[in-house]
Amino acid sequence: MKKTMTLVLSDVEMAALQALSEKRSLTKTGLLRQALRLYQMVETRQDRGEKLFFEHEGTKEKAELMLL
Amino acid sequence: MTELVGVYDLCNRHTNSFEEARLYSPIGEIHLQDYEQRWMPLVQEKLAQIQVREALAAVNLQDFHWRWSEKFKERAGDLGWQSFAIHCGGVTQGLMFVNLVRRCRAPTQEGDHMVYVDLLSTAPWNRHGLTDRPLYKGVGRIMLAAAVSLSIQEGFSGRVGLHSLPQSETWYRDVCCMSDLGSDSHYQQLHYFEMTPTQAQAFIGTETIK
Repeated sequence: MKKTMTLVLSDVEMAALQALSEKRSLTKTGLLRQALRLYQMVETRQDRGEKLFFEHEGTKEKAELMLL
Repeated sequence: MTELVGVYDLCNRHTNSFEEARLYSPIGEIHLQDYEQRWMPLVQEKLAQIQVREALAAVNLQDFHWRWSEKFKERAGDLGWQSFAIHCGGVTQGLMFVNLVRRCRAPTQEGDHMVYVDLLSTAPWNRHGLTDRPLYKGVGRIMLAAAVSLSIQEGFSGRVGLHSLPQSETWYRDVCCMSDLGSDSHYQQLHYFEMTPTQAQAFIGTETIK
């Protein structure tokens, strides 16, 4: 069963959605679905006590992504 | 709750005729029951006859350690995972798990979204090596086509990736014409394969993929 929802975005949010969906070659809906999957994955892993890091490819410097 | 997502034809090798096969998503309780009660007794029987681990390839059983029921429970509700089951002749003939948050590695599509085939198994009675007379032909092909279709539906243009067990490398490389990116030192040295949109188009034989 699929359900429909209406999403109201500001101009800035819509511009960001447009830019990201173009960059990733996805529809806006596709991009939001993908974002939801990633958000859920991050939450699940954080709930398990894991941390999320970004690593610079060249310097190998790591920075923890602080999640609220 | 599991839903019908497509109807296909599977070739019954014993009768040399096609039979209607139904593809469902996600995997349902009935499919897991078939796995536990119909697949596993045959697998365990064969494993009892095997003396050395190397013989697993000969009997087409390198995936015997995958515990589908446990995997299904672990991944239920996780939006990054989708599962499929194919049903024909009154019993489950194949199972598949795919992941939707992996990115491509092949230089021509590095970083692009794809559907990653994590686990794909066909019922033991369909396998060469495990039985002298495999029953249905085409289960793996339908499952891989389902992964390609999902990739198109998600806007990933048919891109698919997977790590292959040694017993299946030839099939992915020569039959499915996927690109073999070589042995992956971060994944048990298994060969990693990817399908580009062009390869996907050729695989499912349609002109509709962008």
